[in-house]
Amino acid sequence: MNLNIIAYSIYVFITGFIIIKVGVICYQNGNIFVAHLIPDNSEFCLQINTILLIGYYLLNIGYAIITLSGWPTLQTFTQMTEVIANRTGIIICTLAGLHYFNLFWITKFIKNFK
Amino acid sequence: MENSKIFIGYIIYLPIVITLTYFVSRTLFKNGKTFMIDIFRDRKDIALATNRLFEVGFYLLNIGWALLILKIDSYDFQNTYQNLIEILSFKVGGFSMYLGVMLFLNLLLFFRGRKKAGKKSSLTPKTIQTQGPQVRL
Repeated sequence: MNLNIIAYSIYVFITGFIIIKVGVICYQNGNIFVAHLIPDNSEFCLQINTILLIGYYLLNIGYAIITLSGWPTLQTFTQMTEVIANRTGIIICTLAGLHYFNLFWITKFIKNFK
Repeated sequence: MENSKIFIGYIIYLPIVITLTYFVSRTLFKNGKTFMIDIFRDRKDIALATNRLFEVGFYLLNIGWALLILKIDSYDFQNTYQNLIEILSFKVGGFSMYLGVMLFLNLLLFFRGRKKAGKKSSLTPKTIQTQGPQVRL
């Protein structure tokens, strides 16, 4: 039994789940913000938001899959847990950083429009 | 068999950390709604959306950090259950202190936003609300 393949499938499942879930939440809540920035054209807002969502998915899932190439050869379950946790942690922390960065700019723009 | 005790440690550590984050985040953002509605006065939809987005950020930051500090070094692990408990207590305690600091940072953010919003609204006077003594927190 090859541990690397099991680890890859667990990793892809976890990161894919988190990325898609966060994307959907941001999409739903972001509609209001985009609608406030471009007040009179709601269909255009929806399209912008969808394009943003697709860009986000492409970037993050692409990065998650690219990092698969650099894994060490796994020997034990302990090592597997460590490596999965480490890689997932890096991706989640990057996501959090991007997310707070976005929130900062969004709230700034909203205040200017008040 | 040296590694199996570390593996048990991981299995204990992960659920503790994730439930801790979940409960802290739920409490913080259930009460954070009030602050957000205070900050974005008359626009409740924006307030709720911002609250949700901050909640997601909080989850991501803390669970990501918990996963990053998961590794127990096998080099100076003495392979006894006593040592395992000591290491786990250090990790979980450290994480919960980190969580407390993050909680206070978030609260600080809320209070600052609230203060700023209050200043802005005082420039455009609202005659109805300023009557009578006001309690300022």
